[in-house]
Amino acid sequence: MQNVVLKGHNEGYEITLKTTSSFANILTELQELFAGLKSGQLSAVDQPVSFDILTGDRLLSATEKKAIEAIVEKYPLFSIHKFAANVISKLEAYEMVNKKSLHLDGSVIRNGQTKVIMGDVLFIGDLHQGGILQVSGSVFLMGKSAGIVHAGFPNDPEAIIAGDFHQSQQIRISDAIAIISQEKLVADQETVAYVNDLHVLDYTKRSQIKQIRPKLFSKLGGQ
Amino acid sequence: MGKAIVITSGKGGVGKTTTSANLGTALALLGKKVCLVDLDIGLRNLDVILGLDNRIIYDIVDVVEGRAKLHQALIKDKRFEDKLYLLPAAQNADKSVLKPEEVKALVDELKPDFDYVLLDCPAGIEQGFINAVAGADMAIVVSTPEISAVRDADRVIGLLEKYDLSESPQLIINRIRPNLMDDGRAMTVDEITEHLSIKLLGIVVDNDQVISSSNQGEPIVLRENNKASQGYRDIARRLEGETIPLMELTEEKKSNFFKKIGLWFRKK
Repeated sequence: MQNVVLKGHNEGYEITLKTTSSFANILTELQELFAGLKSGQLSAVDQPVSFDILTGDRLLSATEKKAIEAIVEKYPLFSIHKFAANVISKLEAYEMVNKKSLHLDGSVIRNGQTKVIMGDVLFIGDLHQGGILQVSGSVFLMGKSAGIVHAGFPNDPEAIIAGDFHQSQQIRISDAIAIISQEKLVADQETVAYVNDLHVLDYTKRSQIKQIRPKLFSKLGGQ
Repeated sequence: MGKAIVITSGKGGVGKTTTSANLGTALALLGKKVCLVDLDIGLRNLDVILGLDNRIIYDIVDVVEGRAKLHQALIKDKRFEDKLYLLPAAQNADKSVLKPEEVKALVDELKPDFDYVLLDCPAGIEQGFINAVAGADMAIVVSTPEISAVRDADRVIGLLEKYDLSESPQLIINRIRPNLMDDGRAMTVDEITEHLSIKLLGIVVDNDQVISSSNQGEPIVLRENNKASQGYRDIARRLEGETIPLMELTEEKKSNFFKKIGLWFRKK
């Protein structure tokens, strides 16, 4: 039975590792395959050749990847372009789902506490002075905020903060920071903070989300 | 080269942070350049009393750990142009993240740029105290007329003697209630000073406005016609080398008030 299958296409070569085969068999067969290529089909090439390794429904560990890389490294002109699988780990999957979903949070964040949330957040809790709400996506505030609201952490300037944050100490989006006491904002549930085209924190109205963040607007169900 | 002064007490709640904020402000009002350093890691308050808590982005732990530059973490108090700065404490860390030599290095970096570096020490005599004293040239011990505060001040003075500070510690007696002292229900200024046998730098009377003004993020020193404010201003001037007599503690207002009532009864 063949454990590895080599295919060529326009952009290079693909090696598919059969999911049902044992890794030991795959390694032996890969060694034979590369040795065969070097002496056979690809013996005449003088240009670098790169391979995509497709692992099917199998996730390779770091050591397994190294074992395969070690085989390829013996041939100076051969290299691995990437490893790709049809599957992802549960952890990665959770992260992906988290990042894409809207989380409802009703907790009390006290002085000195930092609440970290992946994804977008509808905050209905109570953020005290000295507390930090740190979110990877956007923040929609319905609860009380007297602390620091940080959206787009660590590096997503596309995130927004919507709601009444005029009593917050600071708002931060990605690496932009505003000290609210200096901004002369009034109590208004319709306020939206975003990072503008000059990479400066700016304020607008909720009705403007469609113009400033069309992607987010459609994600929220707007048309 | 500025002077680094640690403000300490041993006991909590005697007014170290209030003293730091007001003394710093009073010195800034005299035209001195002052940096306040909050070393109460995990329970910072100095920023709140100064009304600068909204503006904290980086703190002392960020600086020591090399995540931020010192000048990025310093918060300028805009009320005093270029005179008063605060280096805030971290809120989500522990006192043990700082080491004495790190605090000393930091204070040494600040001293050339300021006339005074005031170190607000946390309560207790553990790591936080050791860190704060490490950077100092001089110590101010704050006590109240309560026996327990005086007892702790005595202990702290004993500990300070082991450090090689270039000047001997000085005493501030805080939250004095003159009527208790007059009645003999609390130790008097002279008794406390004599008992602790260190130089008395000044006295500050207990005053409701101290609390109400710090609730507004405004040190009491900024209110001119206030006895507590006067106490802090006198202390600042004494630190600057002026000779100023101690404030009189008799409360004229009260006696006048009672006299008036007495007169009123007599008339009838």
